[in-house]
Amino acid sequence: MKTSKTIDHIKKIRTVSDEVKAKRKEFNRIKKLILKALDPEPKSIPQLAKEIDLSIDVITFHLMTLRKYGDVETGELDDMDEYFSYKLKQKE
Amino acid sequence: MSDQTNNYDVLVVGGGIAGEETALNLANIGYKVIMVEKDLSLGGKMIHLSKVFPTLDCSACITTPKVSETARHPNIHIFTNSEVGEIEKISENNFNAVLTEKPRYVTEECTGCQLCEDACPVSVDDQFQYELVGRKAIYIPFSIANPRIAAIDIENCILCGLCEKVCPGDYIDFRQVEKKTPINVKSVVMATGYELFDPTIITRYGFGKFKNVVTAMQMERQLVPTRPYNSVLRPKDGKMPDNIAYVLCTGSRDDTVGNPICSQVCCMYSTKQAQLLMGALPMADVTIYYIHIRAFGKGFCEFYNQTQGMGVEFIKGKIGKIDEVDDGDLILRYEDIESGKVKEAKHDLVVLATGILANKDYQSMFKNIELEADPFNYVKQTNDLSSPARTSIGGVFVAGTASGPMDIPDSILSAGAASAETASYLRRANNEK
Repeated sequence: MKTSKTIDHIKKIRTVSDEVKAKRKEFNRIKKLILKALDPEPKSIPQLAKEIDLSIDVITFHLMTLRKYGDVETGELDDMDEYFSYKLKQKE
Repeated sequence: MSDQTNNYDVLVVGGGIAGEETALNLANIGYKVIMVEKDLSLGGKMIHLSKVFPTLDCSACITTPKVSETARHPNIHIFTNSEVGEIEKISENNFNAVLTEKPRYVTEECTGCQLCEDACPVSVDDQFQYELVGRKAIYIPFSIANPRIAAIDIENCILCGLCEKVCPGDYIDFRQVEKKTPINVKSVVMATGYELFDPTIITRYGFGKFKNVVTAMQMERQLVPTRPYNSVLRPKDGKMPDNIAYVLCTGSRDDTVGNPICSQVCCMYSTKQAQLLMGALPMADVTIYYIHIRAFGKGFCEFYNQTQGMGVEFIKGKIGKIDEVDDGDLILRYEDIESGKVKEAKHDLVVLATGILANKDYQSMFKNIELEADPFNYVKQTNDLSSPARTSIGGVFVAGTASGPMDIPDSILSAGAASAETASYLRRANNEK
């Protein structure tokens, strides 16, 4: 039976690796960059890649992850039927 | 029938479609079954597929009722996120084994509300979406997972405690540890399934290096309603592809990668995906590069002909190399077998139809006896013509793709055979007493 928070218990027996800490920081950094770039207006992935100094596949991966987490939503498809735009999701 | 806590009639190793079918058949005639699944959810690989060939029935609609029936059956005791080892044959109808249950750090009362997922600040590759998107360090494996209980990926957890703070039911428990339980069973069914070929081994195809070269399983995920993206898109730049190529026999029928046999399903799943792509992307061209098309099952040839009729191009050609050009498009250099010439073609997305390999996990599960393997590392069927579920150990049977590559209907048939032979073995022992 649980009587209190158990996080302290595992903190005593496990440590977090530097690699895991670094990955978390990197995700948060990229998340901020993408959300900031999408703040003024919806953008497609190539448009984001022009604005953010990251490779386009990294932007695609993280944008789709943010879409999955509910931070971003899909907008319109462009006139050439090639790229969707993405916009910030209005949180309730 | 067995009724003590750790005594069962049958141990079914693997909770995929073959394991479920075997367990249900045996449980329905009164045998007490213990099912051990190494993943966090039942369903095996089938639960991740879009549709099945050649009927194009929804895969999840077939598998989830079976998963639920298995999970709810009073004669089936399920352990997920668990492994079985040290299987020891004491005598006929008498096997000991040790079950190792890994901690989820979340209790069984979890309602799957996902508030913990929202709060978790960590993002890592989602293995259930085949690394196309991320997932949190605490996560529900996938939307139709059974059990629908969150789990903590402790290796990637930063121990911030946010999940425990937001959990409305106090279901997070970081005190959980690995638990070992000895069990005794009268018979064993190996339904351990298969592994997919790792295409990074064929470096000339560029998988892992060129982001627009994907595996068929990644395409399968793009074609399901719970897809990682909003549509079928290129992983490199999110462009909707309009000229897609399939490379058949990637890691099958290829001695150079150690798998000389046909995987039996790649021709048909690629043909199926081509049809689904024609629906999802009506303007797209789809080309399938093949060595031979093996459409041997009921309705398969008609399905292949129908796919050709829909406009999918089939080229008898062996791919030598794939290169990427600046815009992420891909140049396929191939031998056109019909003309005998080397040609090049440009596509904007390439799907590697990766083959099936033996899951060799069973080789380390036995303690005092060896479960023999066939020349391709599958569980050896000692009498595959008249008794296909029989193995080198009396009382141990094999079901589904643990014994070799096969499609879903054949896996279910194989599971039927395994359950019939297991029941016969158990009944015979009972009669002899």
